[in-house]
Amino acid sequence: MSSHSSALGERHHQPILACQQVAKVFHSNQQSSFTALEDINLEVARGDFVTILGRSGGGKSTLLKLLGGFIPPTSGQVLFHGEPLPGITPKIGMVFQENTLYPWLTVEQNIGFGFKVRGKQKCQYTLRVQEVMEHVGLGPARHLYPHQLSGGMKQRVSIARSLANQPDVLLLDEPFSALDIQLRRRLQKFLLNIWQDTKEATLVLVTHNVEEAILLGQKLIVVGGQPGQIIEAVDISAPAFSDRYDRHFLDLQQHLEKVVGEEPDMMENPFSWAANSGPKVTSHS
Amino acid sequence: MVKGNSGGLGFISRSLLPLVCGVISCVIFVGVWEAIGANSENPVAQVLPPPSKFLPVLFESDFKIGLGSQSASIYQSVTVTLIRVISGMTVAFVGSIACGLLISLSKWSELFILPILGLIAPIAPIAWVPLALVVFGVSNLTAVFIVFMGVFFTLTIATVAEIKRIPENLLITAKNLGGNNFARWKFVIIPAVLPGVFTLLRLNFIAAWMAVLAAEMTGLRDGLGTVVMTGRNLFNSNLILLGICIIGITGFAVDRLLLLIQRKFFWWKI
Repeated sequence: MSSHSSALGERHHQPILACQQVAKVFHSNQQSSFTALEDINLEVARGDFVTILGRSGGGKSTLLKLLGGFIPPTSGQVLFHGEPLPGITPKIGMVFQENTLYPWLTVEQNIGFGFKVRGKQKCQYTLRVQEVMEHVGLGPARHLYPHQLSGGMKQRVSIARSLANQPDVLLLDEPFSALDIQLRRRLQKFLLNIWQDTKEATLVLVTHNVEEAILLGQKLIVVGGQPGQIIEAVDISAPAFSDRYDRHFLDLQQHLEKVVGEEPDMMENPFSWAANSGPKVTSHS
Repeated sequence: MVKGNSGGLGFISRSLLPLVCGVISCVIFVGVWEAIGANSENPVAQVLPPPSKFLPVLFESDFKIGLGSQSASIYQSVTVTLIRVISGMTVAFVGSIACGLLISLSKWSELFILPILGLIAPIAPIAWVPLALVVFGVSNLTAVFIVFMGVFFTLTIATVAEIKRIPENLLITAKNLGGNNFARWKFVIIPAVLPGVFTLLRLNFIAAWMAVLAAEMTGLRDGLGTVVMTGRNLFNSNLILLGICIIGITGFAVDRLLLLIQRKFFWWKI
């Protein structure tokens, strides 16, 4: 049994997390409803690093919430270890975009929070928390409170807190979107290191940044269209895709940027601007 | 060296500036008062004797104020009043957080209970005095009850509002990390609402303070309010002003104390 698969074909026979024919419809009232996702089939195997790419409002965060059991699918099913996912579980960790650290707890207490809410005695988890803190390089900051940390540090603590729980899968919802470019690159490297160090780690990361999606992922999924569907799946496990200046990387980046389309005006409906009187999109060709 | 020194001094003077200014303005205020009251023929000095006239009352008759068996030292009066306010506020603080948590358990309890609280909250605490005297008699319980009524309803409404204000992610994260409902109450909701509710408690302290003094003036036989009323009954402006001064200073001191507690124990923002 290979625990660490590096290509799409070479997989565990049972995926950790899978979507079968999943659709999600949001009802705002009885008349109107909005189909966010339709016909999603997806498999995440142990050791995978999957990135989900799409533009804002395109349904990619909804997909992540479905995978984490935060919302139930309208039809189809989400399977976790082959069983229907019952709801939120500590086995599937989640890191949100905005920091979700508890402001009244120190870094150390935040990282140990999972153990505390599960009723564990402090002596049972102190070692584990220290181990995680050393691993992610937060040792010197252990006694600081969240308001004393920079944005990047806060995200590192959030990730460490989820890792301390040893989840089977770690979901990340645009974890670095609020950070500036240097910090974002540092944290991308940080996340890749974690994934490479822990062979069993399975990560699913949602982003609207094409470069980030190629750089981090080993499988890349593009969610787009209205309603949202998987419009492209790319295997990016080749080493060429870990170098942002490689020709293959740049070609793929260019291609994906076209696929995703980055006009914010087209968010809801690609043709909505045409219906408006004044054209909002001007082309300089 | 010199630079570091001046930097240190700069820091001290900046942090002490409010204190220094406050002391100066108080000194000027008292000075003007003394100047006006120096001439004892002045009618103003009859009604508003300056501190140099009323402060010595403190040292007369063994610090005792009042008549016969009701006489108590000024410290006893202050202590009695403080104990009443603090115990009333503590009960109200704990009770309102507990009630707020229970109310926010269901949408229905919110819809049914909050309007009642909203109706009772604006009743002036002093209006409860006659009722409290009938139920509890002339006792400490009456005073504690009045303080409680003055603070409890506002704080309960505030607790419910604070619970609604908690970012959903904080609660979802706790669930995601494996916490059950009770653990989320204990480790997320309660710590998240404490600072907001405590701030409101501090703001409501003035209301509670006034309520208990009014109760002491009208019904109870001891405490700071009674000092003022004894002065009134004896036509003794010195005693009245002494009482007023102590009420002001004690109230100010308690407010600062609450601010310190807030900064030390409930400093976080959500």
